[in-house]
Amino acid sequence: MKPELDPKQFALDINRRTFLGRAAYGLGGMALASLLNPGVIGGTARAEERWRGIIHPPHFPIKARRIIHLCMAGGPSHLETFDYKPKLKEIHGQPFPESFTKGQQLAQLQNTALKARGPFCEFKRWGESGQEISTLFPHIGGIADDLCIIRSMHTEQINHDPAHFFMNTGSIIKGRPSMGSWLLYGLGAETENLPGFVVLTSAGRTGQQPVSARQWSAGFLPSKFQGIQFQSKGDAVHYVGNPEGVCQSTQRQVVEEIKRMNGILAGDTIDPEIQTRISQLELAFQMQTSVPELTDFKSEPKEMLEMYGVKNPGDGSFASNCLLARRLAERGVRFIQLYHRAWDHHGDIENGMKWGAEDCDQASAALVKDLKQRGMLDDTLILWGGEFGRTPMGQGSGRDHHILAFSVWLAGGGIKGGITWGSTDELGYRYIEDAQQMHVHDLHATMLRLCGIDHKRLTYRYQGRDFRLTDVFGKVVEGILA
Amino acid sequence: MSIGHQRARRITLLILAAGHLLVAPAALRANPVQFNRDILPVLSDNCFLCHGPDQNTRKAKLRLDVREIAVERGAIVPGQPGESELIHRIFTADEDDLMPPPASHKKLTDAQKQLLRQWIAEGAEYQPHWAYIRPERPAVPKVRNAKSELRNPIDAFILAELEKRDIKPSPEAGKRTLLRRLSLDLTGLPPTPAEVAAYLKDKSPKAYERQVDRLLASPHFGERMAVPWLDVVRYADTVGYHGDQNQNIFPYRDYVINAFNRNQPFDQFTIEQLAGDLLPHPTTGQKVATGFNRLNMMTREGGAQAKEYLAKYQADRVRTVAATWLGSTMGCAECHDHKYDPFSMKDFYAMEAFFADLKQWGVYADYDYTPNPDLKGVGNDHPFPPEIVVESPYLQQRLGRLRAEIRKSIEAASAKLKADSEHRTSFDDWRQKSRSFLKQFPTGWSTPTPEVALRIKDTNAVLATNFTIHADATVAFSDRAKENTRFTLTLSEAWLAAIRLELTPHADSATNADAKKFKGTAIALSASLKSKEGDRETKLSFSHAEADHKQDRFAMSQPILGVTGRWQISPDHDSQTAVWLPAKPVRVAAGDVLIVNLGNANIASARVSVSPLAAAEPLSSGAGEALVKALTRSSPSKTQKELLNQTYLLSTAWDGDTFAKVQKLLADVRECRDGRAFTMVSESREPVVTRVLPRGNWQDESGAIVEPATPRFLPQPLQHDGQRLTRLDLARWLVSRDNPLTARTVVNRYWKEFFGRGLSAVVDDLGAQGEPPSHPDLLDWLAVEFMESGWNTKHLIKLMVMSATYRQSSSQRLDLKDLDPANRLLAAQNPRRLEAEFVRDNALAIAGLLNTDLGGPSAYPYQPPDYYANLQFPDRDYYPSKDERQYRRGVYSWWQRTFFHPMLANFDAPSREECTAQRVVSNTPQQMLTLLNDPTFVEAARVFAERVLAAKGASDAQRIDFAFQNALARPAKAGEKDSLLKFLKAQREHYRTEAVESGKLMKVGLAPAPPGADTSELAAWTQVCRVILNLHETITRY
Repeated sequence: MKPELDPKQFALDINRRTFLGRAAYGLGGMALASLLNPGVIGGTARAEERWRGIIHPPHFPIKARRIIHLCMAGGPSHLETFDYKPKLKEIHGQPFPESFTKGQQLAQLQNTALKARGPFCEFKRWGESGQEISTLFPHIGGIADDLCIIRSMHTEQINHDPAHFFMNTGSIIKGRPSMGSWLLYGLGAETENLPGFVVLTSAGRTGQQPVSARQWSAGFLPSKFQGIQFQSKGDAVHYVGNPEGVCQSTQRQVVEEIKRMNGILAGDTIDPEIQTRISQLELAFQMQTSVPELTDFKSEPKEMLEMYGVKNPGDGSFASNCLLARRLAERGVRFIQLYHRAWDHHGDIENGMKWGAEDCDQASAALVKDLKQRGMLDDTLILWGGEFGRTPMGQGSGRDHHILAFSVWLAGGGIKGGITWGSTDELGYRYIEDAQQMHVHDLHATMLRLCGIDHKRLTYRYQGRDFRLTDVFGKVVEGILA
Repeated sequence: MSIGHQRARRITLLILAAGHLLVAPAALRANPVQFNRDILPVLSDNCFLCHGPDQNTRKAKLRLDVREIAVERGAIVPGQPGESELIHRIFTADEDDLMPPPASHKKLTDAQKQLLRQWIAEGAEYQPHWAYIRPERPAVPKVRNAKSELRNPIDAFILAELEKRDIKPSPEAGKRTLLRRLSLDLTGLPPTPAEVAAYLKDKSPKAYERQVDRLLASPHFGERMAVPWLDVVRYADTVGYHGDQNQNIFPYRDYVINAFNRNQPFDQFTIEQLAGDLLPHPTTGQKVATGFNRLNMMTREGGAQAKEYLAKYQADRVRTVAATWLGSTMGCAECHDHKYDPFSMKDFYAMEAFFADLKQWGVYADYDYTPNPDLKGVGNDHPFPPEIVVESPYLQQRLGRLRAEIRKSIEAASAKLKADSEHRTSFDDWRQKSRSFLKQFPTGWSTPTPEVALRIKDTNAVLATNFTIHADATVAFSDRAKENTRFTLTLSEAWLAAIRLELTPHADSATNADAKKFKGTAIALSASLKSKEGDRETKLSFSHAEADHKQDRFAMSQPILGVTGRWQISPDHDSQTAVWLPAKPVRVAAGDVLIVNLGNANIASARVSVSPLAAAEPLSSGAGEALVKALTRSSPSKTQKELLNQTYLLSTAWDGDTFAKVQKLLADVRECRDGRAFTMVSESREPVVTRVLPRGNWQDESGAIVEPATPRFLPQPLQHDGQRLTRLDLARWLVSRDNPLTARTVVNRYWKEFFGRGLSAVVDDLGAQGEPPSHPDLLDWLAVEFMESGWNTKHLIKLMVMSATYRQSSSQRLDLKDLDPANRLLAAQNPRRLEAEFVRDNALAIAGLLNTDLGGPSAYPYQPPDYYANLQFPDRDYYPSKDERQYRRGVYSWWQRTFFHPMLANFDAPSREECTAQRVVSNTPQQMLTLLNDPTFVEAARVFAERVLAAKGASDAQRIDFAFQNALARPAKAGEKDSLLKFLKAQREHYRTEAVESGKLMKVGLAPAPPGADTSELAAWTQVCRVILNLHETITRY
């Protein structure tokens, strides 16, 4: 149901009805026909229909106009990426001190003897800021001065599915909107020809876990705020391609004819939905042209493909998706989410991390550099990280899920670059409870702030309650804001 | 009306015009201030968070939800707004004193402040919350109006409110519109032109009612009414969490459809679903109904903690029961007392305790780190127990149809046989040879002595000493592990139509005492043929194999049919037999060699035989008594002839086309699983302990233990001498006459189905934060009528659709756009966009493609490729239904919770992970892309165009009329016709010169284009039909 008490929608309906009232009762049939000419309607209706967000003016100056979330699905180890623990290396293979683990929730390590597992890779200090990053990620090391590494992340869900959902919605109850949907609802989109919230997925060689479309669902928000998954096979967006045997010109004629016929209906039936339908149809047709243009990489020079490490443009690899993310960002998409399913290393973490890094390191860094050279990094916020971290205790040749500590990095729009924020204990087991701790709710609150939104004031009434992305929690972590 | 009130109302209207948010439409407020309607929503929304039911967040010990405390604390001084702290606090300019505090971001409008002041001035009377008072039947209001507008009591309640405001209802819609509305509302299908014509012709005053009765009696009524029910119970084909594996549950869906069709009283419907298994001597149907308790999401994720997930499952059940029957948001009370309604945390967990007896597991697998002895060996392909096997009427009918088709195909082939002397000669020859074969081998099986070769496991050495070949050709093995066991058999000239493997222990084979060692052994049999001279082996492929004993193996939560790829031998039998049928029988020459490879099977003995006689069921191959008689008798009976014809076809594939067709049909028959299906059910066991979980934390065991109980502020169920209450008590309590919530909740949801919006618009929350009903007396009257009619659903629905209110035109009222912008007074019907499933059904029905079968396993509509690429455990692929099942109704669409069908998603269907009482209705570009380009709709347009062109000699204009009659139950208007004729002309010109394009278009979808059709003409009309199927009017019921 259209939100019945949505004030803007309500005002819009009144406008339409007034307009229609005049059309239906004040003008003659001929004038009516020309008024309802789809071209004319398409133009006016479109301007009316575009969703400009519930928050305006923004609560704070907008630092980030768009967000790109590089979701490292499966939960990459913080101990082999951004959180160096020499002490853990020292006690490698020894029993893990029980003082750390007593009474804590474990996943697959339940009922087993816990042994420390030291990081298998080297760490290095990078850039002028000298941030510590594992040598598995030299390209990300190369942009260290742009990154704000957060080591004090923690979450509440220890299994992949709910942990992703918690990371996306701040809740584990189904039917809650994901952060992309919230942002679109709050700020609207800057594009009309593309969805405002786009999701791309890729998979690595090992460590894959399933990811559900629930992760980009609009939940109880109207479905126009849902994330649209782009596919690497078939139509990039479901049903965006003309049917076989229908060329673009025929499709245009069909669309025009539907609009004309709907216009006739609008002439003798009073129902504001008809005008909306006409404008949505026009948008659909525009999407049919703009999506192929978007996914056509021909205009990207060879050096660009090389910088990202794209072998076959549009092949659905993480590298190709990063390049596509930049193209989406250029076209005004508000929230772009990339899932790379590769980081669930219960076993053979050494190869798993190496391969994951091979697939993601270069492209992640290229995206930051590319946005920077285009002057877009200033107003694009990038979030890199998984749904949780991994245990400092070994699980055979790998590590188990871990929720008390993990690392992510942020870059771009309004973020202080070249800093490391928050810390964990000497074994990387638990975040240090201080002013730099970062719960998922805090991350959400801070991200919304960068987008100019007070997280406490972005609400939606559902089943009688005003819901927020941050539930009743979350605080803005001012220290990482530029 | 007091002056103060007039002023308040004027302000209200001003604010409305400015587009501000209002609690209740201004037009509804024609009386003095009423607590429930005017005040409670304001207090609840703005004040209860800190001054409401939740004791943990209460500030200054002030409660505004209890009058005594509000008065005692001085917040309210009845009759004296000036003395009331509440009034002071909401009007003050001092930010420190202001309520609600600025930091809460809550702000009262001026109108709300005035209302509060007026309410206190009038005495600050509280009312118990409307939804918690036992509904009594109110008097039907007297109205002045004409009889035509007063068809039943519903109209009196609606007209009374309209008359108060001098508003005239809208005229009755035209008959065409009415019948289309009724058909779509009651069956989800459009009326056929014949039905429209019959209704137009029927001039009797009973004409409309006759249509209502016809549609209520239609089997499609159940399919239509099931959809919203399946949303609230969150019915789906997969478990939802993590790997989102399949769950077996469709018989429950069919139970729901059937319950609506036979008009099962709603109280029984409730009891059976919640507690059918606890009824004395439950019927199969009652057990199937308890699948309801199993529709929560489930997980099988490695590393998941059983206790955590059990907490999730139980909480999910409470939310679902509360929303579905009580219209309440009890979920809020999982972590704290409800902020707005009187549900406590204890109420929440006491409700959970009703379900503590359900046999369930937190994690449906057995992992080393979370051992689960109950589910030993359960992997990603296993079902989710407990399940029962039930008969499925759909599958049984399908089975009958398929078998008849097989008979027909074979008959047709034998007719061909009779007519052709060459064929006849071949048949006679076959019969002759079969007879002589049977003389030599009376069982129909020959068993040549094999040469045996095998290798020792690990060392790979060829070994010839650990087996013995007996006189009956049985090979007995000693118990050493072996690999790559090969039998080589030299054949005689004959058809090779079946291969049999018998495992029959001999004295010297591993003894029965050793049999345990062989448990779990699987045989992946492969075979190849080598001609006498050549040395090239030709691999045989098999159509099917079956064993008399086996261990079930599973794929996608169903037992795998047959043993074709792998035969997991039974641990419980010494002697076991399996038969493999080659995909096509092979004619072998004398001296040809059959090589049978048993892989790495760890078996005690084996004997391989071959037969030239194949049967539909592998184990019946060879010669049964009936076949021997049929073969030997000189003039066989009709049945014997049929058997001969079938055996001849299956054993020789003499007619390749028929053989292929019959093989496909036989595969379909097997998939019907004898007309039976698995379905998840509730099974009761000793209840587990239920505790209050502080802050909802499943790891915290400090909370109090609770027994099953219903929310304590509501009338209580019968207690039986201190005995623990059960699900059955809960169910009976839900539908007891004293329960104030259930009937209102259900009636309100039905009202939404037929009028576009509930009488209380927030259908899933009748609590303080919901919306007071626009017509409270009508809601109560209907609730009482529903209960007193014996919870008679069809009676209730008939009342609604018979009303004059329902029958009004749905054109929105410009004259009321200020007074009643949301049409809450119902001075007109509301247009309603069809729900996702019915958008699909409608298009298929218009095209003439719709499959009207009832019930059965879910079907697979076309779906974009690779949509399940992100699913694992197991990896998933999607195979669109390739026969008439492609055209099944939307209610039968496969519902994959994590990736449900994009067409359903685009048209706002919920994923059914969580109870959903109200679907969003959006209007998006994705919907238009779906209608334009989804092959389902393109194919529908193409087939619709065929129908449009079928009439010989009709003019283009007549054809367009025909299309409109089918799609919209009306002829095309002149303007529409002109426009479409011009459009058609352009399409014709285009497709006349684009033969390749029209050829491609003909291939969209399964349905073949009619042979010899003018494809360019068909392509042009397909575009016309696409336009019609895409119209806003087509997907809207007006």
